[in-house]
Amino acid sequence: MAAVTIDPVTRISGNAGIKVLFNEAGELEKASLQAYGYRGFEYIAKGAHIDNLMPVVSRICGGDALFHQLAAAEAVERALGVAPPQGAELLRELALWGQLFERHAVSLTVHSLPDLLFPSSDPGLRNIISIHKVDEEVIKRVMALKSLGTFIYREVGGRAVHAVNFLPGGAVRDIREEERKGLLERLDEARPLLIETGHLMKLLLRRNAEAVSNLGNLPTSYLALKGEQGMVLRGGGLEVLGPQGESMGAFSPGEAASRITESNSSHSHIRYADFEGADISRVGPLARLNVNRRYGTPLADGELEEVKEQWGMPLHQNMVSHVARILEMIHAWEMMRELLLQPAGEDMRRELAVATGTGTSMMEAPEGLLFYVLSLDEDGTVKELKIIAPLQFNLRALERTLEESAKNVLSGAGLEERSINLLEMAVRAYAPCIQCGVH
Amino acid sequence: MKVAMVSLSSCLGCQMVFLDLEDYLYSFISENQVCYAPFLVDVRSFPEVELTLVEGTVRNGDHFRRAREIREKSEHVVAMGTCAVYGGVQGQANRFPRAELMRRRFGKEAGFEDEPQAVRRILPLDSYIAVDAYLPGCPPPVGLLRSFLELALSGNLPTREASTVCSQCRVSSPPLPQPGPRRVTEQAPLAGKCLLEQGYLCMGPLTRDGCGAECPSRFGVPCTGCRGPSQAMLVSPSSDPKGETVRRLSRSTAKRPGEVESKIADPPHSFFMHCLAEPTLRRRRPEGTSPFIFREGER
Repeated sequence: MAAVTIDPVTRISGNAGIKVLFNEAGELEKASLQAYGYRGFEYIAKGAHIDNLMPVVSRICGGDALFHQLAAAEAVERALGVAPPQGAELLRELALWGQLFERHAVSLTVHSLPDLLFPSSDPGLRNIISIHKVDEEVIKRVMALKSLGTFIYREVGGRAVHAVNFLPGGAVRDIREEERKGLLERLDEARPLLIETGHLMKLLLRRNAEAVSNLGNLPTSYLALKGEQGMVLRGGGLEVLGPQGESMGAFSPGEAASRITESNSSHSHIRYADFEGADISRVGPLARLNVNRRYGTPLADGELEEVKEQWGMPLHQNMVSHVARILEMIHAWEMMRELLLQPAGEDMRRELAVATGTGTSMMEAPEGLLFYVLSLDEDGTVKELKIIAPLQFNLRALERTLEESAKNVLSGAGLEERSINLLEMAVRAYAPCIQCGVH
Repeated sequence: MKVAMVSLSSCLGCQMVFLDLEDYLYSFISENQVCYAPFLVDVRSFPEVELTLVEGTVRNGDHFRRAREIREKSEHVVAMGTCAVYGGVQGQANRFPRAELMRRRFGKEAGFEDEPQAVRRILPLDSYIAVDAYLPGCPPPVGLLRSFLELALSGNLPTREASTVCSQCRVSSPPLPQPGPRRVTEQAPLAGKCLLEQGYLCMGPLTRDGCGAECPSRFGVPCTGCRGPSQAMLVSPSSDPKGETVRRLSRSTAKRPGEVESKIADPPHSFFMHCLAEPTLRRRRPEGTSPFIFREGER
């Protein structure tokens, strides 16, 4: 049996490898994503006082830090039966959209744009550094979107990467009036650039039609939160969508968590997460779009029309995730504007008395569904914690996509750098977060 | 200069900060050659470089092999971020035996193809390879990263010495004694007043400065010690973060140290959130980190 190994996969978040196995006849047997280095965060957080919990889980992932923090905070609040004040909820929402915006921008520009811009050039040159050498402006412009996300997140969350402005029970400090104005100005400034980048992504996907058809098209089920008006990051129930776009039920956080089973992979410390009753499923931008069918804000929904015409609905094409990502950024932009225009609340936090209890939270992290199930001891420390990360849900589908792509792009024995990069492109479309996966 | 950026077991937060450098990022990448950085460029084998920034800790044999290769091929190695410098929050895994962590997560019978051997305990990077400079912070503030890089590129690697977070904190003292020890989740502190003197657990006096003390002075959030223990803390043989904090809280609350200590749930995260894996603190007696670290057949 022959094997092809790609290690490390470049331009993704975290350390992982790809292994593709062929049998004696040269036919593809199996493709897998390898990631080792289990970090033990479910146990690291054990015994943590609720006051210490958010800074601890934040360190699971720099890019999704706030999603972990707030998933933990919500689980604690549910366990104690407390709801944070409305003002804190609005602020949390604002910071979450800011981080989603930043995270998507990194995935699109730093990781995937070089492939889409220069599909025929040497992979060694496909990175923001090489592109910066030939065209300074284009990199500065696309990176401006990432900086905007970082700026908003930093202003609201208190600092970049691991935010400090939130705690179980609410938030510490509201943003001041002049800070609100500054954020709105930055957002308004970025509008043309964002819309332009949206058009660019659509254009690039159309130009890379071959990659779209080769790098994963299999229909799967989809898991995502469904909002009343459209896409949401929290609240709402979990909706399961079958491969034909048929709804297979809606679930509350507790019901949903009890239907998830985790199982070991033979080649990775990332455990598979399967949802009872659903076949191979995907989570993330594509799943959120397929489940909600709209974003619920005018700009994003306007841009969506063209996408529906071009690629249909439900969308199964793995590479179209990139378009879903930029549409989410447009939606995030609209949500952040709306949230910044809402009056600030004086009341930002509830003081918590410690008690025993159990709470479950589910949230849409940039890469997909994130679950926290936690129980507390009477002294306010964490007794048990279970975390299910987005990549765990996506792992089966991702490996299926790799197999499908390998069949399409690997020509038997000879493996050239170009085909290697094509497989990596298929992985990058998932924007997998390895460090969340091996939490 | 030829530069490389590597992450071992980490959250990738430090590399996110690298992308935050904005204008300096562009001058950095045009004046230097980023030869290896899987997060950014498609290079799979580690080349000979002048400067390598290493983020994260050694978790398994694969990380160890990579760390060794980095050392061999780099003129200067920088431990970037608190994980690489002190072990970081990930070092809290040292409270459990490695085998038990694996068994609880994957079950008794679990087996993996080509799985690298896990290390028994998390340790800072300089326990494995020689490190030329340290840039702690979880993550390092973007301004610090920039000045660090500017210095490093001019050939002067910064040294480890620094003061404490309190030296940069802009708060005043409340009247003493105060109630406590208490937590910010239970009671909101007064703005603009020292948190430690108000009876909250704040690691400011024991933590390296450089962050501008934004958390306590701008947000009223206690310092968790994310830049790691200060130089004074590390060189003084009779002090450790737990003993020192209890002593200070005892003064703030006018309660006996024993009483203060007994009221603080979760000492490992409360006192050693980012530095449980730091070996210097393990040897401190009678306090230190050793009561919280699982020892496997060793003294």
